Amino acid sequence: MSDTRKVPKRGLSTYCFYPQMDVNMDLEDIFMHMEDMGAFGLEILADGIIEGYPYPSNKWLDKWFSLVEKYHIIPVEYGHWVESRLVPGREATIEESLEQLIRDIKLASFMGFTCMRTKLGVIDEVLNPVSNWREIIKRALPYAEKYNVVMQPELHAPTRLTDPMVQEYAEFIDKENTKYFGFNVDFGVFQVRRADGTKRRMGPPGFEFKPSKPEDIIPFLPYIHCCHAKYYNMNEDFEETTIPYREVIDIMIRHGWDGYLLSEYEGPNKTDINHCITQVRRHQLFMKRLLGA
Amino acid sequence: MLEMEAIQYKGFRNIKKNGEVTGFQVGIRFVAYRGPWLSQFRFKYVKVDGEKFGPDACTFLLHGIEYTYEEMLQDWHVKWNLQDVCYIHVRKPGGLESGNHRVQVIFKEIASYLPPRVDTVLDMTEDFPEDDKNTREMIIV
Repeated sequence: MSDTRKVPKRGLSTYCFYPQMDVNMDLEDIFMHMEDMGAFGLEILADGIIEGYPYPSNKWLDKWFSLVEKYHIIPVEYGHWVESRLVPGREATIEESLEQLIRDIKLASFMGFTCMRTKLGVIDEVLNPVSNWREIIKRALPYAEKYNVVMQPELHAPTRLTDPMVQEYAEFIDKENTKYFGFNVDFGVFQVRRADGTKRRMGPPGFEFKPSKPEDIIPFLPYIHCCHAKYYNMNEDFEETTIPYREVIDIMIRHGWDGYLLSEYEGPNKTDINHCITQVRRHQLFMKRLLGA
Repeated sequence: MLEMEAIQYKGFRNIKKNGEVTGFQVGIRFVAYRGPWLSQFRFKYVKVDGEKFGPDACTFLLHGIEYTYEEMLQDWHVKWNLQDVCYIHVRKPGGLESGNHRVQVIFKEIASYLPPRVDTVLDMTEDFPEDDKNTREMIIV
């Protein structure tokens, strides 16, 4: 009897290991860990991973495709940035923003990715995007459609899922009636305490950080293609101690959300390779148990 | 391979031009998950044994091209990738003496995804405390 239950799938962001790249690890090392753990969905941070970005050599791309095949990697999300504060003293024009964005759409698609984590420039402490974001995205949509990749801004603390910005993104998607713009929810929005057990209060100056409630994600699930499964502390019992993971993942399963959960370790000791690998492996085992696969 | 530190030991040496020691070089990299476009590089100073060298005393060698700081600030089509070490050429006639040196380099990148306030942290003080991230003890032979 086949199991038709829809559940989220496991993956990993290269962010987990960024201080180690080209020091103690390379991309193939990360792919080996992914295969070991059965976490095949991949997020790269394009600017950091692609040698010669934004114009990788054919030689590098050949190596990319051979490694993806060898380790059965599924390129899920291509992390990139649309820089608005590009040169001193002025905001980037729409054309300058589009030049960056369209170039990344093409490269992401060529490399086999289906989603992009599209970071737009922000204008304030609570991370509201540049005022012309609608026009930038609207003009990029035909390219996203042609190259079949979904642009997704990341909803990241201190943003809350109840903030007007999130509603505005959802309204934009509905109005444009597009499948090529969505969200990546970073689980840090649900963080209730720090890795050391104290209450999370860190927020922008003048604001107290308030976590989103797990159920706040429900109305947005149809717009979410993958999430940053952020974590700050995996304990020896394979439990995350700062974020109500069980509630969030239970909601996802109940609503049949089957996108990718991309491990993203953002706790302390990131320059300690053994610590990072341990945290990543604990997190993957934790998610495997929660997801049943 | 890269060294874990932002300040790279390899490449730390005096520079000779036309038989004369005109200064020294020190390599830096971004210990980060992305590197900046050149126009988003912000540089404050190189400090060696207490002596500071600001942007006017330095040029920046990346991908085999030597840039002034002002040239970098206008160039948003060249990416300083994480695999790239940038060698800062510091003008100091006679160079550094053989022996131990304490080298601090203060720099950052502009990141549009962070609040604009963060752009100005290098303007907030003229002297940054030395720590493991921005300072390294190194030997000139």
